[in-house]
Amino acid sequence: MSLDNLLSNWSQYRKGHEEGGFHDYEHRWGMAIDLDICTGCNACSTACYAENNLAVVGPERFEKGQAMHWLRVERYWDQSELDHPEQGASFLPMMCQQCNAATCEPVCPVAATYHTPDGLNAQIYNRCIGSRYCSNNCPFRVRYFNFYSYYESSWPEPLNMQLNPDITVRDKGVMEKCTYCVQRIRSAKNKAKMEDRKLEDGEFTTACAQACPTNAIVFGDWQDENSQVAKLWKKHEVTRAVTKQNKDNPEKRGYRIFEELNIDPSVMYLERVREKV
Amino acid sequence: MKLSSNKNTTKQIEQTDTRAMSGTIDRRNFLKIMGWGGVGTALSGCDLPSTVTLEEGKEEVMSYLMPEEYVIPGVGVWYASVCAQCSAACGTHGRVREGRVLKLEGNPESPINNGNLCMMGQAGVQGHYNPDRIKSPMMREGGKLMPVSWEKAMSTIKEKIAAARGDQVAWFTGALSGHQFALVANYLEALGSKNHYAHETINNSVWQSVCKDTLGEANPRLRLDKAQMVVSFGADFLGTWVSPVHFSGEYVKFRKQARRGLLVQIEPKMSLTGANADLWLPSLPGTEGVIALGIANSLVKNHNKDISQFPSGIQDLINKYDAAAVTKMTGVDEKQLKRIAELLNERSPSLVLAGAPVEGHANGYNAVAAVMLLNQLLGNIGNTIESAGVFPFEQMQGTVAGTSSLFSFTQAAKNNKLAVAFFHGANPKYTAPTALDFDKALNNVPFKVALAQFLDETTMAADVVLPLASYLEDWGTHVAAYQPEQSVIGLQQPLMEKLYADTRGLGDILMDLLKTVNANEYGGFADYYAYLRQAHAAMPMQNSNNGTDQQAWNASLQKGVIKVTSNAEQLTFNAVSFDDPVVASSDAGTSTLYLAPSARLGLWDGRHANLPWLQEAPDQISKLVWDSWAEIHPSTAAKLGIKQGSIVSVKSEHGAVNVKAVLLKSIHPDVIAIPMGQGHEFYGRYAEGRGANPLKILNPTKEEKTGELAMYATRVSVSKTNQSEVVVKMGSSDTQVGRRLVVTMPVEQYQRSEGA
Repeated sequence: MSLDNLLSNWSQYRKGHEEGGFHDYEHRWGMAIDLDICTGCNACSTACYAENNLAVVGPERFEKGQAMHWLRVERYWDQSELDHPEQGASFLPMMCQQCNAATCEPVCPVAATYHTPDGLNAQIYNRCIGSRYCSNNCPFRVRYFNFYSYYESSWPEPLNMQLNPDITVRDKGVMEKCTYCVQRIRSAKNKAKMEDRKLEDGEFTTACAQACPTNAIVFGDWQDENSQVAKLWKKHEVTRAVTKQNKDNPEKRGYRIFEELNIDPSVMYLERVREKV
Repeated sequence: MKLSSNKNTTKQIEQTDTRAMSGTIDRRNFLKIMGWGGVGTALSGCDLPSTVTLEEGKEEVMSYLMPEEYVIPGVGVWYASVCAQCSAACGTHGRVREGRVLKLEGNPESPINNGNLCMMGQAGVQGHYNPDRIKSPMMREGGKLMPVSWEKAMSTIKEKIAAARGDQVAWFTGALSGHQFALVANYLEALGSKNHYAHETINNSVWQSVCKDTLGEANPRLRLDKAQMVVSFGADFLGTWVSPVHFSGEYVKFRKQARRGLLVQIEPKMSLTGANADLWLPSLPGTEGVIALGIANSLVKNHNKDISQFPSGIQDLINKYDAAAVTKMTGVDEKQLKRIAELLNERSPSLVLAGAPVEGHANGYNAVAAVMLLNQLLGNIGNTIESAGVFPFEQMQGTVAGTSSLFSFTQAAKNNKLAVAFFHGANPKYTAPTALDFDKALNNVPFKVALAQFLDETTMAADVVLPLASYLEDWGTHVAAYQPEQSVIGLQQPLMEKLYADTRGLGDILMDLLKTVNANEYGGFADYYAYLRQAHAAMPMQNSNNGTDQQAWNASLQKGVIKVTSNAEQLTFNAVSFDDPVVASSDAGTSTLYLAPSARLGLWDGRHANLPWLQEAPDQISKLVWDSWAEIHPSTAAKLGIKQGSIVSVKSEHGAVNVKAVLLKSIHPDVIAIPMGQGHEFYGRYAEGRGANPLKILNPTKEEKTGELAMYATRVSVSKTNQSEVVVKMGSSDTQVGRRLVVTMPVEQYQRSEGA
């Protein structure tokens, strides 16, 4: 393949989603996270550990950046010029943004990371060879690599009895990441199918959204225009498949992190608000 | 858990009921046995529900754990229960699959948490499945705890009780409520003892005391949802204060009002609530009451608030602390003080709260009273501070659990007043400051029984250890001290079979003990389940539209909460006189810094240090994991030559701890904060030998009015050692370095685009 060919195909790939994408999506799972009511309490992150069999790695490995928190709550200080952060901290729940033009996907040498018909960035654990290219290419740093086998260290008996049987425990050498609680999606879809009906908005949600003490995280099918998440995106004038939002009212709070990278994230954040006293 | 004697249970329900009806036991006493004593029972005066009388053999008491038709392999079933990770009593749903509980969620039926659950609640399963649980009873033999049978353990306890005078028996517990509390009280009463010590290190006892004195209610309802502005002096209502998940829900309503609610937080060290404030002001510990009076002064002088409603002593105090004087004393900017007063005047109604840093001084009561006075001055009483009403079953409410119990227990033990002490849900050997000499006092109690799931410090010092079932394996009822608009009793049911056959529930142990002292009244119940079942049937004022007793019980189990009516009353403010809240400045010598033993949503008072999810969850503010540390302001650190990661020695009059320094600007420069929770000598593999316990070096100062431990009244000197360690924390950058990660919008813009 010539360089020209590669580049033109690349650009076609990168622009594909703007022309409607490659899939006829069944669902487009998305989120809206209101940073003004997110208090940074960490309930979501702990709920994620409980739901998704996330390994506890201990302080030594944590220090090396090997923690497995699929959902972490970042804390930033914005007023570093002041003696004290007068307006408190800036919290950011950060999980996989399920990008529609994900930078992690095309770099996988074995296609272990791919895009599902639901618009999710999925990781096929038993295909993954651990090249870690995907993690290297993720601007959000939300892919987590199993440098060790954690089964015995993280779940000594009988802690292993808590493991969620709906999903696996990943072993050494495998990349893992937030799945938007795909096991919950699957069981809800199956249930709806068996009952011969459409999946309803609010029928199920992700573990993080369910735990959130302020309901700051809203999850749902972005494609279903009656869903709460779709309504929120619309209300805040955020849309997919653009690198810059073109808002009628630029004062609306919605934004997507790093959308300028042309990655089309599926999480819309709502700006934190502060009143100057 | 197979109920051994379904038929017996039925029979006993019948028998006890018949006795109650026929007058062998009078009704009032009957209700007391059943835990329903209190104002409501006196008021109700209704007959026992007729559904109690069951024909023998008609009732099928089926355990929820027996395989049923609806248990399909691979399909999770959800059961309602109650969270016991703190004393807020949130409702839970537990997902049970193939007989194992896998995941806990909030119960949407509970008006306390409305379907949500905090990180500690999520981690409940890790306590249940913890590899370090105690699996059999133990007794001290030759100085060591050795496994024994239940029969041996219980007979030894009963012998000791029989040999002791009744008033020499004590129970030392955490915040206990519901029928478990009623049974402990009934047990002690049967023995003729008044020795129930309820202990919680993270509490709001002084606030409750001030509320009780000024408003007549210890736990009035706080209407964050109606407040236009909240000024909180160290009350971390989003993290560790009273009922955090409940207040988080109310906080959303507060922020989402037509005009976004304004939050000002004033405290020595930034709490989770402080991190969410529009304005966070650092305060010097002990000056919060003066700041409150300064705001009151400005409200009176500049905004025509009525000072004449207060007694002259208080008027003098308000007049004394004008803005200039307050600024001089506290370092809070005069303009800022006046601005807060101005805003409070504009944004009515408001709500002013006080938390642990205000309470934690010798005159903490005065400081909290000064804060409460602001509520009266601003017209918040009856507006954003409402009557919670009288909970109808006083007997189930529990007592205020705080730290005064540490002092009173120590005193009683030192004076040889105690012969037998039971410990449950509290670890005083860990939480008591060294200077209290608690260890010595404990040695003075000849016979100590620990009811515990884990071998913590107190349990290790016990003579008999009774292994408890986890709260996911046990029955119980819970009444939160702070009740939301709809008062509820939380109904706790086992979510799975006991992991270890040789563990028992608190209720079962209590029933066993009660049978020996009061066989007449308690002898008929096969176990705690049978008792609760009967208690439920005998509950006065219950909605009787639920069909049979069995149906009513099933309905309660399904919901997980029993709604009760508390009749709200009119709150009136009674201005209690209080003294100057200023902390006398003594020459502290080289001890120039104030120690803040900060509370952390997660490890709490140390009780969750054995849960690996919570150890690995970053502290919300510092983002450190797995460790102890001292938060110190960079300017102070520079003066002392301390760098990030330097091991510093923090020394009080009563001891020293060595911890690594973490430089943060979210703290007053004269304060050093060490979070509570680590420094366990015993508590299983995840907790032991990790970090340091700041509670150990606290001065044993008492809050004078309430007798609580003054937690923020210790001065320390800080010196660096020549060691340093890597600070293990989440995230490599403390700032956004210009990226658009968390975007902040000014409120004016928000009001234009989303306000009403």
